[in-house]
Amino acid sequence: MTLADIQPGKKARIVSIENVNKLVRRRLIDLGIMEGSIICLKNSLPFGGPYTLEADGQSIGIRRREASLIEVSNL
Amino acid sequence: MMNVALIGNPNTGKTSLFNALTGFYEYVGNWSGVTVEKKVGKLKDELGQLIDLPGIYSLNPLSEDEAVVSNFLLTEDFSAVLNIVDASQLERNLYLTLQVLEYGKPVVIALNMFDVAKGRGLKIDTEKLSLYMKTPVIPVVARKGTGIDQVKHYLREINAENQEALVIHYGEILENAIQKLIRQLPDSRLPKRWLALQFFEGNKPVWELLKKHVDESVLQKIFAETEKRIAETESVSSLDRYIRQIRRQWICNVLEKAISHSPDRKVPLSDRIDRIVVHKVWGMPIFMLLMYLVFKFTFDWLGSPLSDALDAFITGPVTNGISSGLEAIGASSFVKAVILDGIVAGVGGVLVFVPQIMILFFFISLLEDSGYMARVAMVMDRLMEIFGLNGKAFIPMIIGFGCNVPGVMAARTIEQPSERLLTIVLTPMMSCSARLPVYTLFAGAFFAENQALVVFSLYFLGIVVALVMAKILTSTLLKHKESVFVVELPPYRVPQGQVLFRSTWEKGKGFLRKAGTFILGGSVLIWFLSYAGPGGLSVDMNESYLAMIGGFLGTLLAPIGFGTWQAGAALITGFLAKEVVVSTMNILYASPDISSLQGIIAGSFIPLEAFSFIVFILLYIPCLATVAVIRKETNSLRWTLFSMGYSLAIAYVISLIIYQGGKLLGLG
Ligand SMILES: Nc1nc2c(ncn2[C@@H]2O[C@H](COP(=O)(O)OP(=O)(O)O)[C@@H](O)[C@H]2O)c(=O)[nH]1
Repeated sequence: MTLADIQPGKKARIVSIENVNKLVRRRLIDLGIMEGSIICLKNSLPFGGPYTLEADGQSIGIRRREASLIEVSNL
Repeated sequence: MMNVALIGNPNTGKTSLFNALTGFYEYVGNWSGVTVEKKVGKLKDELGQLIDLPGIYSLNPLSEDEAVVSNFLLTEDFSAVLNIVDASQLERNLYLTLQVLEYGKPVVIALNMFDVAKGRGLKIDTEKLSLYMKTPVIPVVARKGTGIDQVKHYLREINAENQEALVIHYGEILENAIQKLIRQLPDSRLPKRWLALQFFEGNKPVWELLKKHVDESVLQKIFAETEKRIAETESVSSLDRYIRQIRRQWICNVLEKAISHSPDRKVPLSDRIDRIVVHKVWGMPIFMLLMYLVFKFTFDWLGSPLSDALDAFITGPVTNGISSGLEAIGASSFVKAVILDGIVAGVGGVLVFVPQIMILFFFISLLEDSGYMARVAMVMDRLMEIFGLNGKAFIPMIIGFGCNVPGVMAARTIEQPSERLLTIVLTPMMSCSARLPVYTLFAGAFFAENQALVVFSLYFLGIVVALVMAKILTSTLLKHKESVFVVELPPYRVPQGQVLFRSTWEKGKGFLRKAGTFILGGSVLIWFLSYAGPGGLSVDMNESYLAMIGGFLGTLLAPIGFGTWQAGAALITGFLAKEVVVSTMNILYASPDISSLQGIIAGSFIPLEAFSFIVFILLYIPCLATVAVIRKETNSLRWTLFSMGYSLAIAYVISLIIYQGGKLLGLG
């Protein structure tokens, strides 16, 4: 399951961010989002626009393509 | 004298702390990475200097401005580090803190946003933190000034000697590798263990430095061997991830002991605002509406009346006062001509627009400081992606509406180098406020009914041209692998009035300085070139040097609708600064004020020519200051020349289409 599969407002635990683009991965890690983090998909913008995620009180935006490369598991 | 380096994550209140400690003002914004330049302030109480470094998450740099910090630690001499930490995001912030503590200089930790942390129900035991970090930890609320005295107190206590570096055990394999590498390193003032750790983390500036002392193949071998052995025994594939894991464990252990949560957590206000402003449906309309309101305020509701009042003041009391003053001291007619026809006409013609420029900067500061700017990047990303850019590229463009120079600099926060380059080259297409005087002059003269619409169409045209160029460039010269987008969305914060006004002033004062330098000098020069000619001084303006130069350009410009020498001359001077076009015209048409200049212009252009002219002004070249900053930021003469060349070509083609097309349609 990937982050793109979960419902807005739901939480999941990150299993792997290994496939995400290197630059994006580094930034996610910088912001404390990595394997084991619990992440919440807050909302998405239309026409395949980016997602807003939240982990530990920190909000970030990434593209849908990147979100679909983040593997997650249900809590 | 102490040199203290201010280091911390982006958006932790670094700028606010800097201001609180140094007493003199610095630009404050809320967009990730707003502090992009190295800035130095004098610490109060003669403590020494405070050096503001760009906000970073880790010493291992990802983008250009992040490398600034590593390079600073490697090359500059400093006595201590003031590490600012966001108390509400400790886990992530302490990662950088650890790296700094490993360096081994005295560190003072300012635990900022203590109020926010409390609001979130966090109880932080600063004494415990201090114990584990082996360095002072002080709770601070930078924006209120709480805890600042304590920070100063601890800074004063620092003695110049090196503090013992914090040592974390990284496991046998890595520790052995560190020792092996350290044996190869020459003695210097740089801490060897820190260098080795940064090396294994993959810090590029550190690699570059070590390559100077140790054979590159040796370095690569140590690195590859260690990484392989780690991968065999641990569950992580890369060294930097491994190091990060160890550090995070350490941090979590410390935090477990030093922090407790109180259970009541409500939905933060930011989340509630975000539900609306980055809403699926409403996000874009809200952004459009905000931009519309900003422009309405700047140009219609607030800006124009103020500009008109200022114009009346300058052309009335000021001009009369100077003129009678000159009369009284018996100035020669030459001096009177220089001052009244050159300086007052030139500089005054531009000063009139200061209210509008300030209002625009005020709103840009407001967008930045509230945290909304990062949301703009979100909302615009899908659109920008179509053109091969990402949403972050839109922020330099919005700032570019104020002035292209900070716009170009704001591109530094874009991670992908080719996307950054592209944004730099395209930002000058954004209609900066210096171009506004020209539009207002012409729109007022020709399209008084639809002034706002005409001006808006120019802003819009600039964006369209930039996006189309982006598409063309990303599919040709700058074919990059993949456009990426990731943006930190800081919590919304109510901007503080004082900060906003200062930040507006900081941005806007550049215009006043320009008025006193470039525009003043330019005005005198133009006036002189129009006063002198092959026939001597005080010639008829049509026989002047300026008429000759402008006339030559005029012939080139005839096909696009403005073949007069005055227009040609104005374009040359417009390269100095766009608003000088107005000064030049004011001088060349010997007009006493802007409204009579509009009358004169209305007589020498037809509307179609006028529109073609302002479109040309919008696009034709980045101003001198922008060219300089493009050169600096791209570090490439080729791209600098490209940015000038392509704008000229595009401006000519588009004006040609407008003028010739308009004539075909019978508008001429
Ligand atoms: N609540 C609160 N807000 C703060 C504090 N310090 C700074 N801010 C606000 O945080 C925002 C970002 O601050 P700034 O100094 O620009 O941070 P920088 O990006 O790290 O330089 C601004 O809106 C400040 O007013 C603080 O201690 N508490």
